[in-house]
Amino acid sequence: MNGQLESFIGLSILLTGFDAVRLRGSGMAEPYLKAIGAVLPPDVVGDLLSAYEQLPPGSERERERVLESEILGDPRLGPVARNLIVLWYCGSWTQLPPAWRAAFGESPLDTNRVISGAAYQAGLQWEAAGGHPPGANPQGYGAWASGPQRSRE
Amino acid sequence: MLFPVDSALRTDARAVSADDTYDAVVVGSGISGAIIANELSRAGKRVLILEAGTGVDRTLAGYESYLSTFYGAASKDNQSPYPDNPNASMPRSPELRKLQPAETDSSSYMVQSGPYVTDTVFTRVFGGTTMHWEAKTPRMLPEDFNPRSRFGQGVDWPLSYDDLEADYQAAEREIGVSADVEDQTYLDQKFPEGYVFPMKGLPLSYLDKMVGKGIDDTKIELYGEQYPIKVRPYPQGRNGIPNPDYDGGKGYKPVGAVNTHEVEEGGRCQGNTNCVPLCPVQAKYHSGKTLAKALLNVQNPEKGTSPGKIDVLVQAVASKVVVDSDSGRVSALEVKVYKDPKSSEHETITVKGKIFVLASNAIETPRLMLASGLRSSSGLMGRNLMDHAYLLSWALMPEVCGTMRGTSCTGGIIDLRAGSFRSRQAAFSVDIHNDGWGWATGAPFTDLTELVDGHNRFGADLRRGLIDRVSRQLLLAFMIEVMPSESNRVTVDPQYTDQLGNMRPVVSFTVPEYSMRGAAYAREFAKTVFARLGAEDHTRYDPSDYGYVTYEGQGYAIRGGNHLAGTHIMGKDKSSSVVNTDQRSWDHENLYLVGGGSMPSIGTSNVTLTLAALCYRSARAMLKQLH
Repeated sequence: MNGQLESFIGLSILLTGFDAVRLRGSGMAEPYLKAIGAVLPPDVVGDLLSAYEQLPPGSERERERVLESEILGDPRLGPVARNLIVLWYCGSWTQLPPAWRAAFGESPLDTNRVISGAAYQAGLQWEAAGGHPPGANPQGYGAWASGPQRSRE
Repeated sequence: MLFPVDSALRTDARAVSADDTYDAVVVGSGISGAIIANELSRAGKRVLILEAGTGVDRTLAGYESYLSTFYGAASKDNQSPYPDNPNASMPRSPELRKLQPAETDSSSYMVQSGPYVTDTVFTRVFGGTTMHWEAKTPRMLPEDFNPRSRFGQGVDWPLSYDDLEADYQAAEREIGVSADVEDQTYLDQKFPEGYVFPMKGLPLSYLDKMVGKGIDDTKIELYGEQYPIKVRPYPQGRNGIPNPDYDGGKGYKPVGAVNTHEVEEGGRCQGNTNCVPLCPVQAKYHSGKTLAKALLNVQNPEKGTSPGKIDVLVQAVASKVVVDSDSGRVSALEVKVYKDPKSSEHETITVKGKIFVLASNAIETPRLMLASGLRSSSGLMGRNLMDHAYLLSWALMPEVCGTMRGTSCTGGIIDLRAGSFRSRQAAFSVDIHNDGWGWATGAPFTDLTELVDGHNRFGADLRRGLIDRVSRQLLLAFMIEVMPSESNRVTVDPQYTDQLGNMRPVVSFTVPEYSMRGAAYAREFAKTVFARLGAEDHTRYDPSDYGYVTYEGQGYAIRGGNHLAGTHIMGKDKSSSVVNTDQRSWDHENLYLVGGGSMPSIGTSNVTLTLAALCYRSARAMLKQLH
């Protein structure tokens, strides 16, 4: 699990654009790895992480290019990787496309659902956009009156 | 402040039924019921409150269970924190679908018999719809009280703005309104000399200010008249910075969360951007605050007062109003008391009191009356159903505006709330939504999946894409006035009942042409605003949308406003109205029907502040009657 977790975080960094500190600090890496292990047919997680481990060392841009062709462009791993992005960004699992389920296997856990209340609150999408998840992690009274961080950069 | 611990214990139904000393029996624990119970108790009267919901939120654990349910809900709709309760069901927007001509949809609690399908909701839990209300608290404008004589539209109120002014102040105190008088003095809106709101106005959002930069002090023309427009802040029923000048310099102490000591919460809004469906810290007013105060005052009366005891019976669904056929007076209420929301098992009790107050909401109150066979001698029970019609328009601003931060809405454009054009088309106020396109498109989730699945974005590129796409979102929500029309109505039908055997409400509604003309103009107005801002218009209305309405060849998706009103309309005489200016039934002298249902028109004001003000007036009449 530990080795898997390291690779899972490494892959997640590339997919989400958030760094290891932010992803680990969310407390969601382990629950997400467990959740995808439960929802996906055997071997898919292992194959996804192996594909990540086989990315060539080199510049980030190069690694991204190979990630695009070997993982995101792969009919079996691509939809799973895209679901993983959505999982990190919203805390929700989205049902895999019908063609994927027909080709690679169905699971009763493969439904649209929020993984947990904590997962919703840890969603990265609002932070990416300079906000916060509605109902959690507020910025404080009147913070809304100031320009967003991005516009001050 | 804290709910007295014993108030969370269930009051015994049999003891309540055997008790014949209640001065008033109040149905509903929303803002109307809470204000009336508090006012009567303060004057020493004994009050029984019946609440159909479970009442779990009187404890902190209960309130937090709503929040957990919300966090874990796949759909974050405005009822998402409140679990299904088949004994006290409520409408939920994800359950709706478009109707075919002449079709009736009875698949969800509120039966829709069309032609328009409304996604309006009310909440049947302890605290009523104040649990999920957004808490905007504008007063009605003076001209909103006589639309018939001024514009030839709707009906005039039997009351004027001046008749309600002092009660507006009482309601603003109770709710704890944050606003600045100088911002709210517009379009003949009057405040007494020296008046200040309990708390200072919440600051406008950065997004509001960016919109203001583009449109402030520009003008629009309508039927040959010029109207200057600008972005202004709304008054809000949530805690801000107390105004030291309030109450002649005595100041104001905000009421925060009412079910926690250790974590002092809710003294001031934190910007959770989640007013609807639930403020996580209770900085937003909910009627539990009024009830906590009332119950505490009974335990520890203020010097010189001897308040009357208040009993709260939860899981108690009023199912019949029993009328004495000789006197016309209400003699009792039949109430179904259930033990478990999942089970239909219940006992039916009768409760007695000197006066009865139906304070459920403008759907449930007429539903109960009609289910009891009480149509009002005017024949108007359930008729003249009103709700604001909402039209959404959305665009991308030319630069990042920090959307997704703040309270749900801090500012808007309210210059077209009044004007001579109201003889031809509906007025509106425009909300600038701080929470992006969510209401219209499901953003930011839909933006994310489009970027990931459609545009193959990931990593830093995806982050940049989201900032660009989400932080520039501007959603304008036009709140369009709807005038009373007798054919827009709530009825009951014995073939549609709930788990307890109570008849469910059946709603028939057509968005009036007057409002649709306002909606069509609203769309043009939005285009003008977007053009002045250099914003990209992304608005589109889907013909398969359940709220899709065609007007003069164009289609619009009309949303409900949860501002229910008009179903037991107030008036000057018994033939043209259901209640008098004290919200007392013309037919039954010891029965009051209170809340939005009494309002003969709603202008462009969110209804809660006005209906709260009316309840102060009614409470005085009740006390006079009881003496």
